[in-house]
Amino acid sequence: MENNDNQLIKIYHGPQHPGITGNMSMELDLLGETIKEARTHVGYLHRGFEKLIERRTIIQAFTIVCRICVPEPDPNEENFARAVEGLAGIEISQRAKYIRVMVLEMARLAAQMLWMGGQSGSIGLGVVGQWSVYDRDLILDLFEELTGGRVYHMYIYPGGVRRELPNGFLEKLAQLLDYLERRLLDYDGIFFENSTFKKRAIGVGVVNRDEALKNGYVGQVLRGCGIERDVRRDNPYLVYDKLDFEIPTYEGCDVYSRALVRRGEMVESIKILRQVIAQMPSEGAIMQKLPKHRKFKLPKEDIFVATESARGEFGYYMAGDGSEFIRRMQVKGPSLIHGFTLLENLLIDEELSNVALIMNSLGICPPEMER
Amino acid sequence: MIEFLKKHYEIVEKGSRLYKLQIESDKLVEILSYISINSNFITLSQIACTDWIEDEVFSLNYILTTKERDKNLMVEVRIGRVHCSLPTLLTLYPQAQVMERDLHEMYGINFRGNDTLYDFALENWNEIPPLRREFDTLAYVNEHFDFRIGREDNKDVKVEVKRRKAQAKELKDGK
Repeated sequence: MENNDNQLIKIYHGPQHPGITGNMSMELDLLGETIKEARTHVGYLHRGFEKLIERRTIIQAFTIVCRICVPEPDPNEENFARAVEGLAGIEISQRAKYIRVMVLEMARLAAQMLWMGGQSGSIGLGVVGQWSVYDRDLILDLFEELTGGRVYHMYIYPGGVRRELPNGFLEKLAQLLDYLERRLLDYDGIFFENSTFKKRAIGVGVVNRDEALKNGYVGQVLRGCGIERDVRRDNPYLVYDKLDFEIPTYEGCDVYSRALVRRGEMVESIKILRQVIAQMPSEGAIMQKLPKHRKFKLPKEDIFVATESARGEFGYYMAGDGSEFIRRMQVKGPSLIHGFTLLENLLIDEELSNVALIMNSLGICPPEMER
Repeated sequence: MIEFLKKHYEIVEKGSRLYKLQIESDKLVEILSYISINSNFITLSQIACTDWIEDEVFSLNYILTTKERDKNLMVEVRIGRVHCSLPTLLTLYPQAQVMERDLHEMYGINFRGNDTLYDFALENWNEIPPLRREFDTLAYVNEHFDFRIGREDNKDVKVEVKRRKAQAKELKDGK
């Protein structure tokens, strides 16, 4: 795009755009192909989850929380369940904790596979997405067998989990992990070591390492700056403190480093899942006895819980008021800060063709911004 | 580090690695500045607001996280619901900009010094800020939207539940 008068041209990148990570829009001021100003716009998918939850009992609210993020419903279920358990003083069994870790790590693998499809698609590597979405489907097959649902599982419930594992489930999972581990080598060839991807991703979308912690960046953005932070290790929940895993970090602060972090996390998720299969108690209640629907009341207290999702820390603030309704539940996913504070600055002086690439690398999911 | 803060403020332990401090709203900037400079609670993770309409107050919890990301501190301030206003924290935390903008739209709280409190998720919203308890979602929906044909019987769930119970009872009684 030539512009000899140095005049800025305004374009909207999204919400109808294949290179946008959901229903949101970037308002870009361009000088030629270079971005001079960027503003994030949300509100295209505002479903009012937080308002709906104010007037619902726990089991009614439970059906809503998984819908806060489509690619990653399970960290939402875990946060919701743990917040309710924290307020109501419920302790869940070891077996239920292991099952929850299993679900969360399967979800992490599925989310990374879907991300790979999106990120590769943003630079025209269409085959990667075809492979990774197929492999994600194999994980969804297991989710369907376990929970009855492929995408929204509604499985992690306050007090434990809703169903016992089907016969032979852990064996099937072990087989799938062997397959996915082999497939990672294929992905190295077609994606992570692909010269096109490297050329496009190295040195692009460079985050300022010094401000990363203070500004509240999370997940791959931090770990791609060489900062080793992960809620699973730093503030452990469930049985993560009993599991052995590494936190992959890379120093480049760019799109490529964030991709390599995700690749490393897939390896670690496979490692965690194998430990879960080996360590999971064969017996134990999967669900604690809970008060009846209308008698399940939360005290007038508040709590903050956090879970490490596939894109970083996912936090929930919850307040009870002594009734069966949740007075307030406020969601803070990784996208709010990444999508506004970080992205609006990161795009300045970048090329238009890098917008989708950078957005994908930050793991932005609009529904969790406009809950 | 939390022990150091405990010497200065009344911090309550709310659970494993979660702490709470209640302060007056006029001390907000002063205390958060002190905490961010003198402790490792350097990150603002969330500003959570709850409407306690029966007490005529909003409770705002500024959730701070340590540099190590291993502990969280909820700093609570309570402000009246009428002409509610607080100073912005933009100079301390850049991420406060979007959080305050969100709360301004959803609760109508004015953050003094934040000049970016324009529309967030809602466009040209002229009603009561929607997360205030007095905002009646059902009335708003009835006023602005039509029920889809074929879903009229879902309008009153209680009536439907009663009808089904009566039907089940009749079947049980063998009528």
